[in-house]
Amino acid sequence: MIEVKNLWHVYNGKKVAIRGVDLTIGNEIVALVGPNGSGKTTLAKHLNGLLKPTKGNVVVDGMDTREYSVAELARVVGYVFQNPENMFFEENVFKEVSFGPKNLGLSEDEVETRVKWALKETNLEGYEDRSPYSLSGGEKQRLAIACILAMKPKYIILDEPTTGLDEKNAGAIKRIIRKLYSEGHGILLITHEMDLVLELAERVVLLYEGKKLFDGAIKEFFDLDLRTYDLDRPRLLDISERLGMGFLRDINDFINSLGMIP
Amino acid sequence: MMYTLYLDRDSFLHKLDPRVKIIGSFLGIIAFILFNSPSLLFVLFLTIILALVLIGKIHIREIFTVLKPLIPIAIVAMVIWPFILKPWYFGLFIGAGYGIRLLSVALLTLGLIMTTSQKDLVLGFIRMGMPYEIGLTLTIALRYIPTLYMLTQTIMDAQKSRGLELEKGNFFQRARNTVPVLIPLIVASIKTAHELSIALESRAFGASKRRTFLYDIKMEMKDYMSFGVLIALFLLTLYVRYCLEIGYTKLF
Repeated sequence: MIEVKNLWHVYNGKKVAIRGVDLTIGNEIVALVGPNGSGKTTLAKHLNGLLKPTKGNVVVDGMDTREYSVAELARVVGYVFQNPENMFFEENVFKEVSFGPKNLGLSEDEVETRVKWALKETNLEGYEDRSPYSLSGGEKQRLAIACILAMKPKYIILDEPTTGLDEKNAGAIKRIIRKLYSEGHGILLITHEMDLVLELAERVVLLYEGKKLFDGAIKEFFDLDLRTYDLDRPRLLDISERLGMGFLRDINDFINSLGMIP
Repeated sequence: MMYTLYLDRDSFLHKLDPRVKIIGSFLGIIAFILFNSPSLLFVLFLTIILALVLIGKIHIREIFTVLKPLIPIAIVAMVIWPFILKPWYFGLFIGAGYGIRLLSVALLTLGLIMTTSQKDLVLGFIRMGMPYEIGLTLTIALRYIPTLYMLTQTIMDAQKSRGLELEKGNFFQRARNTVPVLIPLIVASIKTAHELSIALESRAFGASKRRTFLYDIKMEMKDYMSFGVLIALFLLTLYVRYCLEIGYTKLF
């Protein structure tokens, strides 16, 4: 369980980015949404200790992030950054993925097992000898996830995992996220793509100007007037509601229910 | 975070034409090299500080902040002289002069940067005959310092999240720990440079030999006056040094 208690964060003693946020994250898919500059990334960086609270506490499975280094917390909380290229530096995919587990001080056999497992989870088997930079956008994103996954963190933070990807590659990322969730990981999805939220999340946390304005089930979230927070309501919801189909989360469900209309 | 040394103020020095300031700093540096008497150099040093404070609206504390990193070097320059020059007190005397000279030359350069925006500085150099391409390169280099700084922070965060411990181990281990940060940084820099060159070319960079400037600098009365004063002061320096032969001791 990740517990955030009355978190405040002030940058350089001037800019207040987070204003008293309370939050708990367990084994679930939570979407962290909000417009640009609302404090999403600042909040997420507290969960693995990259930032330390100015006031309040962040406790990850009993560990206060103030007392642990980022490297120690990396065993429990994985953070997949937005731009995968910002982390690639090895000559091939295998070495790239093994960097994390090696830093955790694992034995060579264990590192190899984990790398193979992480590559399998992200459908990157057979890419071991490729250069990370030679991969396509979708493959790079999957590799970034594999790099974090190989450290076997219980919680995984994904910052805009599908931004800039085409339908097919975004779909692959979504499948990976669902799979990780079903395997017992807690997932925090940072995004402002409402379609992605609708498809994946069970619970939504809305940040606005550093404050938590909403925390609850997805259905209630989409009952809010999202335009007030510079967010868009997915068109799928508008159409299905108007046709009296109820709360539909997937375009395929929509197509299937179309057949039932007389 | 300090991206640049420039301090945005509304002062006489700030409004002065960058060309006058560049030439002024240059003449100032020559003046400091002409003398080696510590008392005279010290007076000149105080004059520069006074000028920056009075006509540049730079706070004395800000001057100290930029000079602070150089103070150890100045002290080393000072204490080395007694070993070369005997008797030791005479060496120390001359050494003090060298220390002050070092700080003064640095202060002249830093003072120029503190009172001149990057835009004006580069334009000043171009108007003095520097090729535009070099001026642009300089501007871009300065412009990307904060960007690269931010990128470095992001990369460091990403690698720390993978368990990298930058502060761990001895000197060699720490040097090796920077590789996971340096490589993504270099790759991103090369990519940015490449994209920038395409963007420049797509906007017809270099299509015309003669460029016009949207924002230009123009010498006004106060600039000509200041330039005149600077030249007069410099001539006075030469007179004092070579005709009156004051302020310089032949050492060897």
